[in-house]
Amino acid sequence: MNAVDATDRGAVQQDVEPPSLLTIILDTNPHAWALLADSLPLSKVVANLLVFINAHVAINHANRVAVIASHSERAEWLYPTPTQPRQQHDQANGATHDGDGERADVHPPNDANKYRPFAQLEHALVTNLRRLMTTTTAPSLSTSPATLLAGALTRALAYISKQTAALPTATTSTQFNYSDPSSSTAAGGNDLNTDPTKAHTTLGLTSRILVVSVSGDLADKYIEIMNAIFACQRLSIPIDVLKLAGDPVFLQQAADTTGGIYMHLATPQARAGFLQYLMFAYLPDQTARENLIMPAGEGEGVDFRAACFCHKRIVDVGFVCSICLSIFCEPLADGTCLLCGSHLSMGNYGRNPAVVPKRKKGKGKKRALDSGADTPAGSGGEGTPAPG
Amino acid sequence: MTSTASQRALDYLEQLPGTTFTKLYQQPSTALAIFRRMLPHLAKTLVMAILYMPTPLSVSDLETWVKPDHESLQARDRALSILQRLRILFDTHDAAGRAAYKLSDAFARSLRLALTGGGNHRSFGVPCSTPDKTPVSIDYLDTFARKQWEAILYYVVGSASAGLGAEVDISAGTKQLLQKGEFVAMRGRTAHITQAGFTFLLQEINAQIWTLLIVYLEVSSSLQMDPVDVLSFLFTLGSLELGISYSTSNLTPTQQQMLEDLADFGLVYRRTSDDAADRYYPTRLATTLTSDAPALPNASLTSTATGMTTGGAGGASAPQNEKGYIIVETNYRLYAYTSSPLPISILSLFATLHTRYPNLITAKITKSSIHAAITAGITSDQIITYLTTHAHPILRRQQPVLPPTVVDQIRLWQIEGERMTAWRGYLIRDVGSAEEYEKAVAYAEALGVLRKEFKAKGSFFVTRMDQMSGYFKAQAVRKREAIAQREAEARGGGGGAGRK
Amino acid sequence: MAHSDPEYDDHGADDDEDVVVRGRGGRSMASRPKGRAQATWEAAASRNWELQEGADGSIEGVLGGLEEAGKRKRLLKDTTPLQRGIIRHTLLVLDLSDAMNEKDLRPTRHLLTITYTIAFVREYFEQNPISQLGILGMREGLAIRVSDMSGNPNDHITALKQLRSTEPKGNPSLQNALDMARAALYHTPSHGTREVVIVLGALLTSDPGDIHDTIKACIRDRIRVRIIGLAAQMHICAEICRKTNGGDENYYDVAIDEVDYRQQLMAITTPPVLRSTDTEAQKNNQAALLMMGFPSRIVEEKATLCACHGNLTRGGYLCSRCKAKVCNLPATCPTCDLTLILSTHLARSYHHLFPLRNWSEVSWRRARQKGSTQCYGCLSGFPPVPAQQEVADGAEHDQAFARTKRAEGASESSRYECETCGNHFCIDCDVFCHEVVHNCPGCQSRARLPGAQGDGEANGG
Repeated sequence: MNAVDATDRGAVQQDVEPPSLLTIILDTNPHAWALLADSLPLSKVVANLLVFINAHVAINHANRVAVIASHSERAEWLYPTPTQPRQQHDQANGATHDGDGERADVHPPNDANKYRPFAQLEHALVTNLRRLMTTTTAPSLSTSPATLLAGALTRALAYISKQTAALPTATTSTQFNYSDPSSSTAAGGNDLNTDPTKAHTTLGLTSRILVVSVSGDLADKYIEIMNAIFACQRLSIPIDVLKLAGDPVFLQQAADTTGGIYMHLATPQARAGFLQYLMFAYLPDQTARENLIMPAGEGEGVDFRAACFCHKRIVDVGFVCSICLSIFCEPLADGTCLLCGSHLSMGNYGRNPAVVPKRKKGKGKKRALDSGADTPAGSGGEGTPAPG
Repeated sequence: MTSTASQRALDYLEQLPGTTFTKLYQQPSTALAIFRRMLPHLAKTLVMAILYMPTPLSVSDLETWVKPDHESLQARDRALSILQRLRILFDTHDAAGRAAYKLSDAFARSLRLALTGGGNHRSFGVPCSTPDKTPVSIDYLDTFARKQWEAILYYVVGSASAGLGAEVDISAGTKQLLQKGEFVAMRGRTAHITQAGFTFLLQEINAQIWTLLIVYLEVSSSLQMDPVDVLSFLFTLGSLELGISYSTSNLTPTQQQMLEDLADFGLVYRRTSDDAADRYYPTRLATTLTSDAPALPNASLTSTATGMTTGGAGGASAPQNEKGYIIVETNYRLYAYTSSPLPISILSLFATLHTRYPNLITAKITKSSIHAAITAGITSDQIITYLTTHAHPILRRQQPVLPPTVVDQIRLWQIEGERMTAWRGYLIRDVGSAEEYEKAVAYAEALGVLRKEFKAKGSFFVTRMDQMSGYFKAQAVRKREAIAQREAEARGGGGGAGRK
Repeated sequence: MAHSDPEYDDHGADDDEDVVVRGRGGRSMASRPKGRAQATWEAAASRNWELQEGADGSIEGVLGGLEEAGKRKRLLKDTTPLQRGIIRHTLLVLDLSDAMNEKDLRPTRHLLTITYTIAFVREYFEQNPISQLGILGMREGLAIRVSDMSGNPNDHITALKQLRSTEPKGNPSLQNALDMARAALYHTPSHGTREVVIVLGALLTSDPGDIHDTIKACIRDRIRVRIIGLAAQMHICAEICRKTNGGDENYYDVAIDEVDYRQQLMAITTPPVLRSTDTEAQKNNQAALLMMGFPSRIVEEKATLCACHGNLTRGGYLCSRCKAKVCNLPATCPTCDLTLILSTHLARSYHHLFPLRNWSEVSWRRARQKGSTQCYGCLSGFPPVPAQQEVADGAEHDQAFARTKRAEGASESSRYECETCGNHFCIDCDVFCHEVVHNCPGCQSRARLPGAQGDGEANGG
């Protein structure tokens, strides 16, 4: 009677791996690439990325790719090609030919030696990248030395969310529904303890983001990047990071928080093996990762420093406004929070920090702290010796 | 990759001699297609990881890469086994002399070419340089493909219930092919469907095509057609783009000849009448050959492909491969939204039809109808698979797709009749010590070839032997080495043990 | 439970509907969960009759619009940056009395409450990373301690899981619970909020003294009480909530069904808006600037002892000031008393500080002006702009308008514009960006904005 066992009912469908959407964010910051030109020029990286993308597409017919350039003064799609918004001078024509008009020009030359989807993808990507580079002006370069990673991440997320929703799946009902907290998983998607692998198997489309990063200074957009990271975490989208240069702070946190892979190719030798790194570590999608031990992550420490709001410095000890939780790198001159405007007592910061005491701890400490807070002359706290 | 068609394709490929593989893998399109269609997911990951590696991947490295839980190990062993059966992966030794894996040179070279482009193999089809004077629309191609393929199915079904599709005309070659594949058996002058025929019918369309093509391959080799030519052309077809005309100029004579047969199946479309004879259009049946995602009807190509969103919707008469149309209720009632006689006649094989409306038929699954199907040679699994693959989107929303009561009942009805299953295979006994026995059984289970073990007797039964014999050989070698080492140690007085 | 059978009671059905209306308003008795469920269902069904056919006789467009409007309704809340007392001190009081054995919420009120509370604890610490939570229970007329005030969700969850095996018993006592909560919150620092959340299944409270004294004491201690009823409204509950929340009546509600219960519980996890009285109180008591460390995780070759538990571990976090090793965050450095926290914990709540501004609906005219053809975020196409003359002509404009008229809140052109960067987005991206990412893809993708003095300021740059 084994054959009537209910356990093998769904077995047939489990065989087909879910398609996977790979979103690559390529940091095209010209400043940083100029520094790397000797060991690993951008052109070589793009060529290697194309092989990587082709490999990804080759693995499954339904696999998809999106590429976004995080440029110095804007974040732009490289693939798929966006249609350019028609400006006012187009008005006279009316709007009869909306849609694909602009896409027509991206057809690649016919080549019998190349798989056509690959050829189309490469052609579109290279064309768009070239357009991006030619439209970059010198003045815009000089003003913004950083890269707009936050924008690129946000656009990638918007695209992923739309693609995931649009894909007709056999199990639509189990899809993550962020706008209706009452439905689906127990904690409305915020539950860290739900097994992420389970979510993957039921999703129609598994997505991941790969950030190829060369720029360091991201502190300007600290909050926006963190917002994007938490969104990824909620949607269980891993952010893989391949760092070629620059300091790692926030991207390492991103990979750690979302369960992605973080690697830093610091030496020219390591950078020479760029393609091999991609193919070995970054190609496996979530389905394959269930069976593989992925590099890094747990293996090494993670830098968890934060950026202060006042000077965009990266700090490991900061001052936090108790009202709005803004981080400052130094005590505020006039005792007013720069963001929420509350008047803050800076009391005994240097000696005994005003911590939120744990209930378990001894009573004496708490009382001392309370009484300190109750005295109206709180601002004079600097002078009083620290209790306890 | 457990669908019967893939299994058959795999079996077919496996029995080819090694030189054929080397020749096959010369074509990047073939390498890509085999990579995509035949390999399990982990194997793909593995191949890609090794592809650009300068040195072979040592066995121990692979071991540290794969998670040590049972499931992953099983997946790994299966991946390795299939890769070796397809002559993609070979055992070798790395610089340090440790056991390692490397890719077949020809395969690796071709796959790299496929990924990067370049070379001058022209294996991804040569598009016609001149535009067609009377261009063919994708809709037309779909209609053509459907017409041709359904004609074949009609013929097979028609042989089950005479009168239904008897007047449908398919070419004599195709008829012969169906007989060779034992989908139909000729008794006198009329064709009768066989059990293999039922299996064929109830598969989803992509698997059907493969099943038929494998038969075609088997037959073609007896017709002095070079299997390499045939196979690589098939794989090339899978990488072509829908709606574009390709030139026949660079095809070998064998492949030219194949075009005709494939046109009969509806895989390619060509006009022989006018001057357009040197061009052919692949249809959707062909371009989805190397796709293994039948569950995703519209995502058959990457998003660059044109006409993907609308091209697939062929209206109400497009039952297969598009979207499901069958609703099964827990009370064994069955509703099918179709007006086409083909699915109706397929349904009538195992369900009692009740009413027919312009776009809907109602039927009921009964004990007698299932029994009738089973006596005709259809198995319960085939019926269930058919119902599942053609389930209406409403049903698909739930998990499991079909009502469990119905599924179980169909299986029970079948079991009532048959209480014995036969498998071909090999009985392995006298393995050695209990520990070795356990290991061997675990290995067989990981490969997925273990059928039954008889613990008390110390023997077990497997469906495939080649992997197992390799395993036992390796074990024997290891044992001998261990003995030799022990002897060496004994002789050397435990001083400097030589080998590790 | 009051349970009147509609077959014998002519007014049964009417009552049900009334209950729904008033129940939401938070005033009158809500009763009979079955009846309520039906009434909600009826309410949902009745809305469908209000559908207006479009001018061309199809309701499809209207339906689509309704859906979009519904999505947006959730979004269009006030996004002006508010001061939120983000360091919260909350005591959750669970009813563990007889009444929790009722099975009107499946499987039982007790088990459902525990399940939801576990989810609540997780969500609470997600939203309020450095807040403190404690859990009390009301059982056999006493208030019992389930878990101490602490910032570690796992402590609470473990304690809650143990509650599963205990049987609810006896009567609850609101007064005892409030007194105990008051005592527990007494020592909390003044810069945080003091909140008590009571889940009450019973329709009675058996108190040893005058509860009104306790209420007054709570007001004096700036404790805010919020009650979720599971059965019916009680006057005393309404009074407690009203008085401790400065006359605001929205803090007491009765859960209609499981979904509503969960929503109400989860709504509490959002940091509360500070009332003016609180702000004054805050001013008097001086909100503090806290010094905190953001340690980085390390992995060591050899296991060493951690400073917090004295266990051998091979990794952990080094205190930013004194380099003592702790094994878990958030924590207070056992050596130098510095608060150690993961910066990601803090960052999780920043979207409350810098909410993304609402996007506005886009008229056809505006859409034409911008010439947008696809969503800036996800590249999906927009419906094409109708031909020019149609809109230019006044009369026809009305007609076009009528044809594309959609439900309130939905944009006629299916586009939504971020007013800062001027890009157009689809409804899905609108919802996604406001509820999940809290970033505007447009603002973040341009270093300098077209209209631009405030350089992403709207998004909190």
